[in-house]
Amino acid sequence: MSGVDAVELAVFQSAMHSIAEEMGAALRRTAISPNIKERQDYSCAVFDAAHRVIAMGDHMPVHLGSMPMSVEAAVSALRLERGDVAILNDPYAGGTHLPDITMVMPVFCEGKDEASFFVAARAHHADVGGMFAGSMGPAREIFQEGLRIPPVKLVRGGVVDEGLMAMVLLNVRTPQEREGDLAAQIGACRVGEQRLLGLVERYGVERLGVLGEELLDYSERLVKAELRMLPSGTYEAEDFLDDDGVTDERIRIAVKISVDAGAMTVDFAGTSRQVAGSVNAVRAITLSACFYVLRCLLGEDAPATAGILRPLTLVTEAGSVVDAWPPAAVAGGNVETSQRMVDTLLRALAKAAPERVPAASAGTMSNLTIGGVDAQTGSVFTYYETTAGGMGASAAGDGLSGVQTHMTNSLNTPVEALEFAYPLRMRRYGYRRGSGGEGMHRGGDGLVKEVEMLCDAEVTLLADRRMVRPYGLEGGAEGAAGRAVLREGDEERELRGKCSARVKRGAVLRLETPGGGGWGR
Amino acid sequence: MGEALRIAVDTGGTFTDCVAMVDGEMRVVKVRSTPGDPGRAVMEGVGLLGAGAGVELRHGTTVGTNAMLERTGARVAFVTTAGFEDTIAIGRQTRPKLYAWTQPAAVCLVPEELRFGVPERVSAEGEVLQRPSDAELEELVERVRASGAETVAVSLLFAFLNAENEARVVGALEALGLPLSVGHRMLPEFREYERGSTLVVNAYLAPLMQGYLLGLESEVAKKYAGGTVEVMQSSGGIVGAGLAAREPVRTVLSGPAGGVIGAWEMAKAAGFERVIGFDMGGTSTDVFLADAETGGVRRTNESVVAGVPVSVPMLDIHTAGAGGGSLARFDAGGLLWVGPESAGAEPGPICFGRGDLPTVTDANLLLGRLDEEQFMGGGVKLDAERARECFAARRGGLKSVEAFAAGILRVVETQMDRAIRVISVERGHDPRRFALVAFGGGGPLHACAVARALRVPTVMIPAMPGALSAVGILLADAVRDYSRTVMLPGARMGELEAEFAAMEEVGVREFAGKKFEVERTVDVRYVGQGYELNVVHGVDAAERFHLMHEQRYGFANRERGLEIVNVRVRLRVRSEKYEPVREKMRAGDGAEALRREKQVYFDGAWVRARVFDREKLRAGDEFEGPALVAEYTSATVVPPGARLVVDEFRNLVIGVGA
Repeated sequence: MSGVDAVELAVFQSAMHSIAEEMGAALRRTAISPNIKERQDYSCAVFDAAHRVIAMGDHMPVHLGSMPMSVEAAVSALRLERGDVAILNDPYAGGTHLPDITMVMPVFCEGKDEASFFVAARAHHADVGGMFAGSMGPAREIFQEGLRIPPVKLVRGGVVDEGLMAMVLLNVRTPQEREGDLAAQIGACRVGEQRLLGLVERYGVERLGVLGEELLDYSERLVKAELRMLPSGTYEAEDFLDDDGVTDERIRIAVKISVDAGAMTVDFAGTSRQVAGSVNAVRAITLSACFYVLRCLLGEDAPATAGILRPLTLVTEAGSVVDAWPPAAVAGGNVETSQRMVDTLLRALAKAAPERVPAASAGTMSNLTIGGVDAQTGSVFTYYETTAGGMGASAAGDGLSGVQTHMTNSLNTPVEALEFAYPLRMRRYGYRRGSGGEGMHRGGDGLVKEVEMLCDAEVTLLADRRMVRPYGLEGGAEGAAGRAVLREGDEERELRGKCSARVKRGAVLRLETPGGGGWGR
Repeated sequence: MGEALRIAVDTGGTFTDCVAMVDGEMRVVKVRSTPGDPGRAVMEGVGLLGAGAGVELRHGTTVGTNAMLERTGARVAFVTTAGFEDTIAIGRQTRPKLYAWTQPAAVCLVPEELRFGVPERVSAEGEVLQRPSDAELEELVERVRASGAETVAVSLLFAFLNAENEARVVGALEALGLPLSVGHRMLPEFREYERGSTLVVNAYLAPLMQGYLLGLESEVAKKYAGGTVEVMQSSGGIVGAGLAAREPVRTVLSGPAGGVIGAWEMAKAAGFERVIGFDMGGTSTDVFLADAETGGVRRTNESVVAGVPVSVPMLDIHTAGAGGGSLARFDAGGLLWVGPESAGAEPGPICFGRGDLPTVTDANLLLGRLDEEQFMGGGVKLDAERARECFAARRGGLKSVEAFAAGILRVVETQMDRAIRVISVERGHDPRRFALVAFGGGGPLHACAVARALRVPTVMIPAMPGALSAVGILLADAVRDYSRTVMLPGARMGELEAEFAAMEEVGVREFAGKKFEVERTVDVRYVGQGYELNVVHGVDAAERFHLMHEQRYGFANRERGLEIVNVRVRLRVRSEKYEPVREKMRAGDGAEALRREKQVYFDGAWVRARVFDREKLRAGDEFEGPALVAEYTSATVVPPGARLVVDEFRNLVIGVGA
């Protein structure tokens, strides 16, 4: 153990984790938009000199595997120097989908020419331009989805590049909000930098390097020990997305998991080719889904480091829906396809460990974006929120109702906060009773939400599990499908899972999210 | 005797501590607690301290806390706007554990059959959009009656802007004769889940607390003519028993608040202006921050009590899940973890004779840091041999029992360090400018190590550790808090007079005849932000907000619009300033208190340390570590290189040499 004992490692791990958490606290507290502050849709992480994650805050699982790609992309595209902060969101260069903007900052120790650490802060911005308010609409290519930012320096030697900032802000619908959020992200990186330099002062950069290395080895040991407890073998499963929002064709996610002697290979062979709509996922997201599943196999307090991924071999086919090529549209890959990948991985894993793995959860984030011009104030607004559904049941018991599952855990916007901030009125918010799948253990129920528009608006929905319902396990029934109904005057019409509609003042959208699958007969 | 004496009584698990100031001297009496009927011990203590007519009893109670922890509160009906009945259960739609496929649901004190909707609506502008009919109200009353509810929480959407509908609902429900906890009266603030949750906790505790407090009040009044009862609130201020009975949610952490105020008052009297409090108990550790310049102990309106959000002012106490009884274990990857699992009272640490899993207390014993001769006055035998055997068998890859024990302490101290960082650094305070005030069973054992890690120069172990909570209750100010969400643009900062006046009017009635101070504050944020900062109201409130934002979060934007979210009024009747008797300082080396020498393990080696009896130390005694200062259930560890001075109030003040 290179002279590192269990105690020193525990102290180091705790210190690193607290840095990531402290960055997150700073970001949340200083950001402007409700999506970051109230709903906590962000992640912060610390990386070593070789760009490997050594600590990540307990934030958004969907960011787990994809944050390292951001650091990698920034470092290979730019020569990052002391005091620089890189910004990026291009899914094809270190990003995930355009609303997720990531900042990467190198941390230089006194007298060193190379960065000893990197810190990164990612946040989901409520709008990054493009043809739909909220930048999450049914686009057909990435150019329609919003502003693409390759890795570029937003801050040089501590000074913000005002020209670049102005160019970003000119391309988004709510520039004032974006500016505040971006400033908060830069601030979070600086908090991380300061904390790391403090640790360097205390332990010395060489020692920290040794400890970082040991921490990665430790994570690897942890995962291997867990994988050895699974029966060796190959486990296959498939599941489907309803459609891509452009055509009616179902999209297949297929996976083959091979477990042997503490190693795992995940092969997505047989998965559909990339599609015209926006549910394409870049490989970083696929890696996040695997990361999440491995992380859940471990105990609750195991740190999320790059070491967790060492026993994993991920095989994807370039140009498929789980490893998209430009110029595929990708807004939904991050939020919808990521959930389906987890569903599929779990379905396969259930064959290896039926007593541990739950039935399918809601399987969609039910992304709702409403944008327009507030008739009273004349100002442009964009509201974005995901709505929870039912959790899948398991051998341990019923699934929970109305909670975020798997790749997200973002909070709801309080009804009173929503109505203060936007020209919207909530008519109803409650459980969707009976939507969980029957079984020895019942799946959790989804939620019902009714929103009334107080001005003309553009409503965009990005949701799934309308046709292919959340599966049950061991004989448990499927959870109910999700649905959305728009009422204008006396007219009611069911909306497709992925669509955008211009609606009049007074229109009411009713959103019902899927229930979780049941477990056992 | 017989004059109006002020007596503070703090109910604890084992003892009920009672203190009173008699002729400028603090008198302390401890009686056995009577958990079945806590009032009996209270009355006994009051009697022992010589109460007479007009006695002012001030009480720190755990009746509410225990009911929350043991879930023994009343059957609560939750009444809200129709269509939103489930909001009390949905909460913020998150799962408690991020990486677990199965987990228990978040706590909700209102089962489905006790959630009721009223067909009504008020808009975000305060306009009534829909009024319930009389028939609908009647029906509601019947349904609540039929449900068997013992108490009711009423929280309609936006009633804090316009209470018309909510007042009618309340008017109708009054027919039931049940305790009512009402949003626009108790907590007229926005965010429906947090408000609803707070009202539900209030309703949940109301029947129990009304019975207890009003019973105690009448008993006191019967026995001592003109005697009164007041209660410690979680905010650290005292309030009358009548009000505490109506709004028990405000006293849910009554006991811990006493300890915090006690530690802070003792520190202030000893000349410390900024302190970080460090209270380490058996299963967890509480930390808090206090700064005389910014109004003493920090408070918050966002607490969680026994898993349930509570949004009334509370002392901002941050809890870490590790204490003396916390278990140490290695995980499958070989990392050492301490807590949050605890050995509890049963089986307890290994050295108490029954447990066999290593705890922090065992580690302290094995490293010589506990005084095994006099632990709990010699009442508990500590079995070091047994602990040594278990440690040897479970030490993982660590080379010795000592290395394992020292490792446990280092890991637990790292957690303490982290907890303190959360309340200091993360909120813009540099811990090096503070003194660490340590109490509780484990505080004095670990204080110097934690202080060194944080580069805090001074540690203080307050005098009277056994009665700190009661002392805090005795010395606390009487306080009433009022608040209301207004949601106005920052430009209207000067137009809040009517809002403040209305709240103060209520207070004037409640503080009839007493001399009180008024503190007006506003919760402000940048337009669109989801969190507010509380600043003193006045012409420069906006600038104060920018400065505080800068300090707390690292930036301010004076061009950006402000929003006034809540207005708050705090009425305060100051207690007499605490002037403890000063003992004359005289040069001493603690020789009279020196009991023996023993081997204690520091930094990888055994060294000889002197053991002093705390009770025999006198003002002016001064010595260097390594040393232990032993007291009833704890010991202060003075490491090599640290220097301890007993001050004129018999606090232990240690320069840690950081």
